[in-house]
Amino acid sequence: MTAELLSGTKFPFCPGCGHGPTVKNIAKALTACGYRPLDVVLVSDIGCCGLVDPLFATHTLHGLHGRSPALATGVVMGLNNPGKKVVAIQGDGGATIGLQHLLEAARRNTNMTLIVTNNLIYGMTGGQVSGLSTNEFKDENHIADEAPPFDVCQLAHQAGAAYVARVNTPKSITEKLIEAFATPGFSLVEIASLCQPYGAKKMAQLRAWSREEVVLRQAGPVAALKVRETETLLPESRVLPAMFSAGVPGRIGVMLAGSAGGGVQSAAKLLAKAGILAGLAATMKGEYPITVGTGFSVAEVILSNNEINYTGLENPDVVIVVTNDGLLKARPRMGAQARIYLDSQVDKPTDLTAEVFDFHKVAGKKGAALAAIAHWLAVSGLLPAAALRTAASKHKYGAEFLKIIAAATELAVVQQEPRMR
Amino acid sequence: MPVIPDKDQQNTAGILITLLPYAEGELPGKTQGMATDRKITFTDGSALITEALVRSGADMFIGYPITPSNRFYAYGQKRFPVFYPAPDEISVLQWMSGAAAAGKLPVTATAFPGLALMTETLNMAYVMELPMVLVITQRLGPSTGSATVGAQGDLALLNGIIPGFPLPTFCPAGFADCWTLAHKAVHTAVNLRTPVVLLTSKEMVMTSRSFDLNKLPEMGPVARPKPKTGKGYQPYKAGDAGVAPFLPVGNSRHQVRLTASMHNRAGRIVKNEESLAVTRNLAAKINSHAAELAEYAHITTPGARKLLVSYGVSALAARDARAALAARGEKVSLLIIKTLIPLATEIFALIDTYEEVFFVEENLNGQLQEIMFGKRPPDKIKRICKLGSMIAPAEIVNPLAAQ
Repeated sequence: MTAELLSGTKFPFCPGCGHGPTVKNIAKALTACGYRPLDVVLVSDIGCCGLVDPLFATHTLHGLHGRSPALATGVVMGLNNPGKKVVAIQGDGGATIGLQHLLEAARRNTNMTLIVTNNLIYGMTGGQVSGLSTNEFKDENHIADEAPPFDVCQLAHQAGAAYVARVNTPKSITEKLIEAFATPGFSLVEIASLCQPYGAKKMAQLRAWSREEVVLRQAGPVAALKVRETETLLPESRVLPAMFSAGVPGRIGVMLAGSAGGGVQSAAKLLAKAGILAGLAATMKGEYPITVGTGFSVAEVILSNNEINYTGLENPDVVIVVTNDGLLKARPRMGAQARIYLDSQVDKPTDLTAEVFDFHKVAGKKGAALAAIAHWLAVSGLLPAAALRTAASKHKYGAEFLKIIAAATELAVVQQEPRMR
Repeated sequence: MPVIPDKDQQNTAGILITLLPYAEGELPGKTQGMATDRKITFTDGSALITEALVRSGADMFIGYPITPSNRFYAYGQKRFPVFYPAPDEISVLQWMSGAAAAGKLPVTATAFPGLALMTETLNMAYVMELPMVLVITQRLGPSTGSATVGAQGDLALLNGIIPGFPLPTFCPAGFADCWTLAHKAVHTAVNLRTPVVLLTSKEMVMTSRSFDLNKLPEMGPVARPKPKTGKGYQPYKAGDAGVAPFLPVGNSRHQVRLTASMHNRAGRIVKNEESLAVTRNLAAKINSHAAELAEYAHITTPGARKLLVSYGVSALAARDARAALAARGEKVSLLIIKTLIPLATEIFALIDTYEEVFFVEENLNGQLQEIMFGKRPPDKIKRICKLGSMIAPAEIVNPLAAQ
């Protein structure tokens, strides 16, 4: 039966190489666990252990250096079939360059087995040391590198692996592989391996240079595919019918500038939606620092009677600034043609002609931007207040927004003569 | 809802528009009379692409967050039936490759730094012939550049990312394209057994717009070919269309061997003429379908001798520029290329018919122009390029008007 798992292809390994016995033991253990060839997906890495896939009669994937645990993780995700056994194999070099993948598979307790054949060196490229090369090996071979090796078994265990074993004795390999294959979740078996040309030539040497054998188990939930029913991103409920009329002549660009947390983006979005409700085409984009909770927050809205192609706004027609953070960003964009509205908290440059209102006083820090929009619409008459109210009423904070809009509209009536300072 | 029309459909104005039922600049607007049956929503390109990918049958989103592809990650989490947050971009594409090998159609979205990390695995997936879709949102580079500044600077990389081999790359030049090209990306990935790129930019996927949902063609899941597999199935034996029938690993009928290394039709690592033929076919299977993959809009002006050539977000400015030039009495046509790799020969043939051709690109030195005409193009080929912000219509109009 073991032969059924193997393809019959002649082994390509050097005389005395540890990979040959490992291959035979994998086949033996899979057979003992009842797996048939097409029940198994074998994922191999780069290096001498990457020569194993033609030797198996199973499904095989031969990928990149260090990535076999990640590729195997993807196979497990795609198959979502506990009846199939996914086995990845890599060497100590692969485990070094792909350590993140190994840890991630362990962290998720992905239902797979990773076999790390540790011959203490990179065999295919000339015997260089890996992150799993022990200091005993390096000392004996006069390799000047004092960095201790990763303990890949402990790392996998700490990350969440269900089963981990290190095997230094050939006769124990089958037993440990059977235990690994039979354990649901992520299992890892590190197998000490001879490399006649560059590494240990005898088992006694290999045992002396290897870490101690270990078996570590822990219970934990096994990663399972969660397939969800989801809803469309384009629901009919978000359709904005043209129910008002607008007084926008052609195209108008509005820049709204304030600070993070000041509702600038929300207010701009409501303005755009109000425009759409009034039958206009609208675009809106935001700009803010990558630290989204501090600094400036700027939004640009374009409203037009025609479809909008280019969405740049080099010279906004209207600039509304509600904080000093916003002023710093908006000031260079304030052209001579722009109508400018400032909050009274903004330090108005003496050379700037602007209309100043107490938006903060009306609506507070979080509502000043929306208040400014509502005020501007009220005084300009470009969009009916009802359009903004309708847009705001659909928002989860609709009740608060409606109060702000009402107050700001009132403000516009009270302060028909803008005060300058 | 309209359905996706036949390619090369002629509209009444004599404007050749491929695939799309309308072009972005030709949506019915208020000045043309308000349609009463419109369903206007306020959305963005990220949502349209995500929705279209899911409706086209993409199974899972595997992502690592990066600006300006943030919204794809957020929408992917919300909309895809399966979502996985990977710990890095190499893992993203390895997981996708494993899932694709097992028969799923995975999707991710990233930007240049993520794509750089994915490069080796992208080559692996290409050689393994695994269907998947990568959305690349361009931002200002090189290096980390400026994550929140848009650009069109990744085409040169994509043109050579599988060195010497074509990686199908579609580039939406408007919201309608986001929808239809996402569908075409899935269709291409499945039917040509290959990774496919949707090349977008920050402006295309992060700026919200009013948009008429009634203009979106209906779409359903792309049918996955079910190969007839008698005894002796070979995972890399090309069929009639030049594409090898795909069976997933883990199936219970036939052994499947997939490999990133040079291999024969059976998927065995062998260096011989058969393996070279399999390697050559990676390019041939895509290039031989270049005409079917080709998407473009050739917006003609009768009597025009000048042509604007653009793609992506710059094509929107080019539309406005063409209209502004027309208002001045300048006759200029516009070619918007939406399939950037492979470039169909008919694109070159179209360009050949004009006396002056202006490539409009938001990058340092005209990457598409250089791909098409090299570093020493003919005198009639000119570039309008800009780095650091969108090209404004006036920046296109002025060089042409000054001619």
